[in-house]
Amino acid sequence: MKKFINWVVSGWMLILFFVGFFLFWEYSIPLFDIPRYILPAPSEIVSKGSADLDKLIYYTGVTGLETVLGYIIALVLGLGFGIAISFSSILRRTLYPFFVSIEMTPKIAFAPLFISWFGFGLMPKVIIVVLVCFFPIVLNAILAFNSLSNELTLFYKSTGASTLKTFFKIRLPAALPQCFVGFKYAAINATVGATIAEFIGSDKGLGFYISIVTGNMRPDLAFAGIFFLTCLGLSVFGFVTMMEKILIPWHISMKRINK
Amino acid sequence: MKNFIEISELIKVFGSGRDEVHAFGPATINISTGEFVSILGPSGCGKSTLMLMVAGLLNSTSGKVEFENKLVKGPKTDIGIMFQDNTLVPWRTVKENIELQLELRGLNLKDYQEQIDNLLKSVSLEDFADRFPNELSGGMQQRAAFCQAMIHDPKIILLDEPLGKLDAMTREKIRADFQKLWMIKKPTVIFVTHSIEEAVQLSSRVILITPRPGKIDREIIIDLPYPRESKVKRSPKFIKYVNSIQEVFQKYGVI
Repeated sequence: MKKFINWVVSGWMLILFFVGFFLFWEYSIPLFDIPRYILPAPSEIVSKGSADLDKLIYYTGVTGLETVLGYIIALVLGLGFGIAISFSSILRRTLYPFFVSIEMTPKIAFAPLFISWFGFGLMPKVIIVVLVCFFPIVLNAILAFNSLSNELTLFYKSTGASTLKTFFKIRLPAALPQCFVGFKYAAINATVGATIAEFIGSDKGLGFYISIVTGNMRPDLAFAGIFFLTCLGLSVFGFVTMMEKILIPWHISMKRINK
Repeated sequence: MKNFIEISELIKVFGSGRDEVHAFGPATINISTGEFVSILGPSGCGKSTLMLMVAGLLNSTSGKVEFENKLVKGPKTDIGIMFQDNTLVPWRTVKENIELQLELRGLNLKDYQEQIDNLLKSVSLEDFADRFPNELSGGMQQRAAFCQAMIHDPKIILLDEPLGKLDAMTREKIRADFQKLWMIKKPTVIFVTHSIEEAVQLSSRVILITPRPGKIDREIIIDLPYPRESKVKRSPKFIKYVNSIQEVFQKYGVI
C-alpha cells in the first residue's frame, strides 16, 4: 500500500512536471515573441503534424524496421561473438583487442561509406544500426561471461558436469544481468544509428523526413518527426527492459532489496 | 585405520622467476575415513591452496595427493565443497540450489526429495526452501550452502572457512549443525579455518600450519567425546588444547 502511494506521488509529480513544461513552452512563444520558423508551439506541432499523420506513421514503420532488424542482427552477432571470445583464448588475444580498438572509432563515421557502397535502400541503414549496436553488446557479453565468481567455477568443476550443462545451468544465467546492460545501451543507440543513416542518404524514414522538413523551414513538422522517433526509441528500449524483467526477474528483485 | 587420503610432500609455488611465490609446503598428511580434520593457520599460509590441491582443483608444483591409493589428477568429483563465499546462485530458491548439485551430477531429483527435506530440517531451514538466497541472512545462506555441499552424500567434504564472514552467535549455531550432520553421515571432513576454538570444538584432529610458506608445525589429536556442545568450551581439557595451540602461534608471532 505504501509502495502504491509512493508510486502515485512520484507519478503525479512527473505528470505535473510534463504539463508544466509544455505549458511553459506553449506560452513562452507569444510571450518572448519567438518566430514560428525558429520554434513552434506544441499546439501547432500537434495540429500541423496530424495533417501529415499518414506519412509519419509510414516513416515510423520504415525507420522502425531498420532499427529492429539491425538490433536483432547485432544481438545475435554480439552474443555469439561474446560467447566465442569468452571461451576461446585465441579469439581473446586476437578479436577482442580488435573490437576494443574499433570501439574507440565513432562508428557513425562509416555511414557515408556504406551509403556509397550499398545505395539508398534498407541494407546500408541496417548495417549502420548493426555497427552501432554490436559493440556495446559484444563487449558487455565478454565482460559478463568472464566474471563468474571463482567459487562457482570451482563448484561446477567439482561436480564433473559437462561444459554444455554448466553453460546453461550456471554460466549463461549468471551472465545475463551484465549482458542486459549492453542490450539496453544498444537499444538506445539503435534509433540514433538509423536516424543518422537516413540523414545521410535515403528517400524515406523519419530521419529523411526530419532533414527534408527542416530544409523547408518547417520546424513544426520536424518536431512531429522527433516525437515519433522518441516513441520508436521508447518502444525498443521498453521492450528490452520488459524482456529483462521476464528473463531475469531474480535480478530485478535483488536490486530492489539491496536499495 | 587405513589411510583414506594420503598427501605426500605436497608443494605449491605460484609464478616463476622473480615473481615466484612459494605458497605452500612441503607437507605430508594422512587422513583416515570419517575423520574431521581441521587445517588451522594464519591467513596467507596457503591452507586454502592445500584444500584446492586435495580437491584436484589446483595443480601442485610437486608431491602428490592420493585417495584410496588413487592419484588425484584432475578435479575430484566425489566431494562436497563449500567456501567462505557461498555457491548459491541468485536465480534459484534454496531448494533449487540444493538440486543444482544433483542436476549438475546428472542425478535423479525425485530420488532425493526426502533427503532434501531432511537436510533442510536438520539445519532449521525447512520454512525457507522456496526463498531466494538474497532473502536469507548470511548465516542461513551458509546453512543452505552446507546442504548443497552434502546432498549427494559425498565421502569427503571440503570446507574452506565457511563461517568466516559470520557473527559469533551464528557461527556457534552453525557449528552445532555441522557437527550434528557429520555425526549422522560420518563423511571425511577437511575444515580450513583460522579460528582456534572452532578447530578444537569440531575436529578429531587439528593440523597446525606455519605462516607462509605453510608447513606443518604439528598435529594435535583432540580427545574429547562427541557431541561437543558449546559448554565443552569451559572444560579444562578444551582450554588446555586452545592454550597450547595459541602458544604455537605466539611463537610465530601471528598472535
